Amino acid sequence: MHKNSYVFIFASVVTITCSILLASAASLLRDRQQENIALDKQKNILSSAGLIKSSEEEVTRQEILSLYDANISSQVVDTTGMVMENKKVENIDPKKDRHLLPVYLYQKDGSVKSYIIPISGKGLWSTIYGYLALEPDLNTVRGITFYQHGETPGLGGEIVKDWFTSNFVGKRIISPEGKLVSITVIKGKVAGRIPDSESYHYVDGISGSTLTGNGLTNFLKKDLERYEPYFETLRNKEME
Amino acid sequence: MPDIEVAETTTQVAQPKEKLFSKKNKRTLSDPLSDNNPITLQVLGICSALAVTVQFNTALVMSLAVIAVLALSNVTISLMRNMIPSKIRIIVELAVVATLVVLVDQVLKAYLYDISKRLSVFVGLIITNCIILGRAEAFALQNKPWPSLLDGLGNGMGYAAILLIVATGREILGSGSFFGIQLVPDSFYAAGYENMGLMVLSPGAFILLGLIVWGQRMISKKFEDN
Repeated sequence: MHKNSYVFIFASVVTITCSILLASAASLLRDRQQENIALDKQKNILSSAGLIKSSEEEVTRQEILSLYDANISSQVVDTTGMVMENKKVENIDPKKDRHLLPVYLYQKDGSVKSYIIPISGKGLWSTIYGYLALEPDLNTVRGITFYQHGETPGLGGEIVKDWFTSNFVGKRIISPEGKLVSITVIKGKVAGRIPDSESYHYVDGISGSTLTGNGLTNFLKKDLERYEPYFETLRNKEME
Repeated sequence: MPDIEVAETTTQVAQPKEKLFSKKNKRTLSDPLSDNNPITLQVLGICSALAVTVQFNTALVMSLAVIAVLALSNVTISLMRNMIPSKIRIIVELAVVATLVVLVDQVLKAYLYDISKRLSVFVGLIITNCIILGRAEAFALQNKPWPSLLDGLGNGMGYAAILLIVATGREILGSGSFFGIQLVPDSFYAAGYENMGLMVLSPGAFILLGLIVWGQRMISKKFEDN
């Protein structure tokens, strides 16, 4: 039998070796991983605006970069709705600059085809990140994607699938009276539960993941509220 | 102390200068492929076999990850087998396995980001795959690095074989494609053919796996009698 001191020394050596290995692997591969994450975000922005059919589709690196450069521009607005000309989306830190909000614009032939905003918040187990694209009327949803989450695969994890995200397309965030109502993920199916006149504010939930759906409903509303002043000024401009 | 010494000497005697591919070593490599398959006979690692077999390419990457982790963990543990204090052997084995799995996960995130996203937590869950700890405990702790490597590769490939068979069946029946390439022509769909939704879900994998186990035991005639 080994002495206790040997056990301690052995355990320490194993632990230190393992941590050195992991730390060096993590720092060696970090650049490439960050690049993948950035590319994945661009892909999701494109996919929410409908420029790529589905976020699950295989698209090459080059295609994403060229599509993104040709169509998407970005700007920073603040929570009162002012456009901050001197700020860049890349430079704002969402933790520090809480009053600054990034907006991505899909422009074609000189006019804006879609406004895309990042959305994020708590699901059941994790923070969910995604993008919401609105039509130029700033009311109708053009598309939604989720690109990072830690929800249960097969249950809450289904939010990334096309069958779920496609439910959002064509839904509206503003009531006929002009109030922001956002979109609610309900338990079960919309058909039969919600009167037809209101059904465009609701989408079908995923059975077995009501809490992920509730989380989504909450952070969607919260994020839309932050952007509402900016959207309102745009809507008013449209009217004039 | 005396027990270990005896065990040491007996293994020394049992393996007098073996050839690299002696009969015994070949069996170490080939047994887990069929007669002693980790999934169909030992029924280990079922969870991931169900989860990642909807498509062939995710199953393939998962298989390669498991083979790599299993072979490396077996070799590492076998190299340390005389140094590991028996009191903490399980936790040492786990530390080795966990380190290897995180390394594989990091590499996948850097070079195969899309697939690593689709595999989600299942790469991380290789740590808890019974096959890996099972082989470390049952084989690598008692054997030299070379047979341990063969055992790891053999078991990894046995796992991979079943995973890939199940994935092939599920992708063809469930999505009408193989390796992402559409197999069932559009005219079939127009004529009313529909993909089998059941195969996309976990029960589909269970049914296929059951059929494979049945088929294999029919052929090998190895089953437990009551």
